[in-house]
Amino acid sequence: MLEIVALHAGYGLVPVLNAVSLRVGKGEFVAIVGPNGAGKSTLFKTISGIVTPSAGHLRFDGKDLLAVAPAARAHLGIAHIPEGRQVFPSLTVLENLEMGAYTEAGQRDWKANLEKIHTWFPVLAQRAKTPAGALSGGQQQMLAIARGLASSPKLLMLDEPSMGLAPAAADEIFERIVSIHETSGLTVLLVEQRVAEALHFADRGYVLEAGRMVLEGTHDELKSNDRIRQAYLGM
Amino acid sequence: MNIAQFIENFLQALVAGLLTGSIYGLMCVGLSVIFGVMRVINFAHGDFMMLGMYVAYYAFGLLGIHTLFGASAGPYVAALVAGPVIFLAGVLAHRLLISRVTGIRGNALQAQGHYAQLILTLGLALVLQNGGLYFFGSSPVSIATPLASNAWSVGPLYADRIEIFVNQGQSIAALIALAVVAAFVVIMSRSRLGKSLRAAADNPEAATYMGIDVARSHRLAFGFGVAVTAIGGGLLASGTSFQPYVGLEYVIVMYAGVVLGGLGSVGGAFFGGLTIGLVQQMSTLFLPNQLQNTAIFVIFLFIVLVRPQGLFGTALRRT
Amino acid sequence: MKRQLIAIAVFAVVYASLALFVEHSYYLLILAIVPVWAVMGLSWNLLSGYSGFVSFGHAAFFGLGAYFVALAQIHWGLSPWLGIPCAALVGAAAGLVVGIPTFRLRGHYFALAMLAYPLALLYVFEWLGYQELALPMQREHGFAYMQFEDHRIYVWLSLALLVAAMVITAIVERARFGMSLIAIREDEAAAEAAGIRTLAWKLKAITLSGAMAGAAGGFYAVVLLVVTPPAVFGMLVSAQALIVAMFGGSGSVWGPVIGALVLVPLSEVLHAQLGNIIPGIQGVVYGVAIIAVILVAPEGVFWKARDILARRRAGISPVVADLPHVAVTPPACNANAGGAIAFEVRNVSKAFGGLKAVRDVSLQVRQGEILGIIGPNGAGKTTLFNLLNGFIRPDQGSILLNGEEVIGRSPYQLCAAGVGRTFQVVRPFRRMSVLENVIVGAFVNAPSVAQARVAAQDALDQVGMRAQEEQLAGTLTNKQLRLLEIARALAGKPKLLLLDETLAGLGAGEVEEVIGVVRALAARGITIVIIEHTMQAMVRLVDRFVVLNEGALLAQGLPEAITRDTAVIDAYLGKRWRTANA
Repeated sequence: MLEIVALHAGYGLVPVLNAVSLRVGKGEFVAIVGPNGAGKSTLFKTISGIVTPSAGHLRFDGKDLLAVAPAARAHLGIAHIPEGRQVFPSLTVLENLEMGAYTEAGQRDWKANLEKIHTWFPVLAQRAKTPAGALSGGQQQMLAIARGLASSPKLLMLDEPSMGLAPAAADEIFERIVSIHETSGLTVLLVEQRVAEALHFADRGYVLEAGRMVLEGTHDELKSNDRIRQAYLGM
Repeated sequence: MNIAQFIENFLQALVAGLLTGSIYGLMCVGLSVIFGVMRVINFAHGDFMMLGMYVAYYAFGLLGIHTLFGASAGPYVAALVAGPVIFLAGVLAHRLLISRVTGIRGNALQAQGHYAQLILTLGLALVLQNGGLYFFGSSPVSIATPLASNAWSVGPLYADRIEIFVNQGQSIAALIALAVVAAFVVIMSRSRLGKSLRAAADNPEAATYMGIDVARSHRLAFGFGVAVTAIGGGLLASGTSFQPYVGLEYVIVMYAGVVLGGLGSVGGAFFGGLTIGLVQQMSTLFLPNQLQNTAIFVIFLFIVLVRPQGLFGTALRRT
Repeated sequence: MKRQLIAIAVFAVVYASLALFVEHSYYLLILAIVPVWAVMGLSWNLLSGYSGFVSFGHAAFFGLGAYFVALAQIHWGLSPWLGIPCAALVGAAAGLVVGIPTFRLRGHYFALAMLAYPLALLYVFEWLGYQELALPMQREHGFAYMQFEDHRIYVWLSLALLVAAMVITAIVERARFGMSLIAIREDEAAAEAAGIRTLAWKLKAITLSGAMAGAAGGFYAVVLLVVTPPAVFGMLVSAQALIVAMFGGSGSVWGPVIGALVLVPLSEVLHAQLGNIIPGIQGVVYGVAIIAVILVAPEGVFWKARDILARRRAGISPVVADLPHVAVTPPACNANAGGAIAFEVRNVSKAFGGLKAVRDVSLQVRQGEILGIIGPNGAGKTTLFNLLNGFIRPDQGSILLNGEEVIGRSPYQLCAAGVGRTFQVVRPFRRMSVLENVIVGAFVNAPSVAQARVAAQDALDQVGMRAQEEQLAGTLTNKQLRLLEIARALAGKPKLLLLDETLAGLGAGEVEEVIGVVRALAARGITIVIIEHTMQAMVRLVDRFVVLNEGALLAQGLPEAITRDTAVIDAYLGKRWRTANA
């Protein structure tokens, strides 16, 4: 579904991604782990078009993504849930979801999606009229994920959904993501600093270090690998 | 001056302030939308307003609105015509000039980009007001309407000693201004378009992830912003005389109102503009006419220095 | 500096002799007016070009100067020879009066507030009845009242004013004054952290700028003999000052002069030729000029030309190879690590709204020790640094530097007291050279530019970047930028150095090099606190770790102990990891 080949990207003179290749099949749950500053968020931003790559190929559903304007990529079925949640603080919870459903598919499935979202995240139904800025961190993260789901995506890209959350809230978010993946069969690409959780649930994983993919494997292969321990703890 | 006379003057100024203030409020809403969505301070805003006045003026005279709708209703129709015309002008100005230094591309320029926008609109302001001299001439004009010199009288009150006159032309203009503001608020809060504009204002990056074309949102916001203000200008055009430099007189009025209301808050901007109108008219009770504008500037400076977040801004944004 | 002065002298001679070949009085008038606007451009440039605080209100100073000269001559018979210097004082005073309240504002708010001053004054002067003031003719004492039959004298006087403004600008630019202003423009927070008293320099800048504009206004009144409020307080005056400077290139001596030389004659000639057909042609010229510059070359003609020349030169000369770095063998164990307590944090907390960014953190750092603060994203590390160097005040707790409470001190005071810092996002002053960047950091403990230069070069030696001292900071690689930041902080001779993610985004070999530099600093007795996300390279760098998680202290201890600490492993890898790998 998503295929990235030898991607190079960066900000101005500072290169961040160096020949990154990655493949995500339909229905897969793929995790990218690696220390902070490795370029994970830049990779996501390049996929959704905020960062323009200097070289490499990006294909989604067989289409060349580089020929698609950033705002049009969401309409192809890519839902990017950015790092740090980035909900629209002055819009209400419901309005945030409506914005998530800005795509044609999202508008078409609006009723059904809203119902599903409300069963997955009941708190969003209770607080529908609250401005998103007034939600707690965990609730904002739920809203960010729900907003992505409201677009009826083919691919859900989650950037550090547990960041800055209390452990209990992070666990809850994690369970929800896994159950959404399992019940709907949605393709998920996850960037996470909680390596253990990420690799536990993912079908496959990649390790990104200093802008390079240094390791790739199934979750069993990666879980016992010392390279990850080294990447995080330096030993 | 006895007390009854002072009260009469006071009430008269209050009425005048509310009427002018409503139109100022409308104009401030336009400036505020542009800042709210694009984070650009439009220096040329007063000059788009001036264009709106001339569009209303020529629409009234040359396009035959006068003959179609008559001298009483015609000026208001002409003012409303200014809206869509200036909307197109704004969209064009954004596409050709402002979009090049704003939005995602402009963000790359970071801090420089901020001033680039401001200074670009300064250039646009100079071109519009001075180019206006060529196209419109330098002699002041105004739209002639009998309503401008008719007034309803209220009173006599308080043992026949107080009588207030409410200018008919201004009253109708104020009502239209209120209606336009109300319509605009409804569009911004209820419609899909309005919500997408607010989303783009809140977080352009996340809006892009939703599939919202942020550049288009900015273009529309700029168009709406100048159009709304142009209607305000059109409404003023039948009460006062104007020339191509008129924008400068109002631009500080608008900044003051918008800052008073809290930059970026549409509701706040309206009340900010209303307050400025009141201050301006009330100041005539104590100050010579020529210092009206100075009073506004002083209040503007006072607000920016003491409470830059505005008086209404934070409170209104939450509701 | 010498080359600059010679260039100014050559320019002055050429311009002065131009007047000898011009007969027509209208063209002589243009020749006399061009330097006035160049001075206005330089005046604007001194404040806005160097410090980055964009003013839309320079007409206020110009107009006050013009009215002062006119009114003083009318009412007191004061000759412009004295009146113009006094007008400069009036402008300076106005600058100071405007600056004190207005510098509380930043960005757009500053620009808008500045716009209001001249427009308010315009209406006040109209109300005072000064719609049109004519300077009284003094046919008998022409010279004494600066009134000349020979109009070339105006050109030369005007030129003298311009030369004075250029020389002042050139001196300011090279001095601590100018460098401090540029540092403020590039990054006010970084400048403050580098020990620059930002408000004091900004006030000096607006005062001097007001003086220049006041003098220009005073002279303008003498040349035109008539003063009206719109002509001296009008929007176009402020705009012209800004536009000539930005068109030519702000932040330079020559930019505003180039701008005035091109735009003033162009608009005047077009006005003379087409003024009766197209009445607003002058304003259109300035408007179009500034739009074109913003779209095509936002840095202005001068810088654009310089960049093109520099690129052409760079094309022929060979690329300067990265010199081998100073080889420093890291000591196995830091001998100083057992010294006295240099720095102590006691129970410090800070909340932003509901978010508790730092909760009840206590830690001690010994002289010459390298302390590593680590923790996942959002753990409160940078907030802690901002508390330590005075950017923000803690809600509670105390911070002791050599046993002395430092809470409430501003960043530049702390910098002067020996706290240096770098930033997570590198904040170099991009348009300055490497050496100039570091000199700015040296001012805090160097009384003169020469001493600052020595300190800066010494700092560059310590990080192994002496060879790149002439390079523009904007052209450096990530690693060089990190080293530059360290050097800038070092130049202030800090006792305590706060390094914020200095190793982030570096390649493996580069990390080793920077580690070597930092260890060498510690060996010289500088106490170092360094923040990182990851422990990876830090294990080889630091003497001791402090681990933060969710704003609170999670663990502290020696590197070997920390990497085995279960709480730390949980924070970094998750509980599942520990149970799976146990």
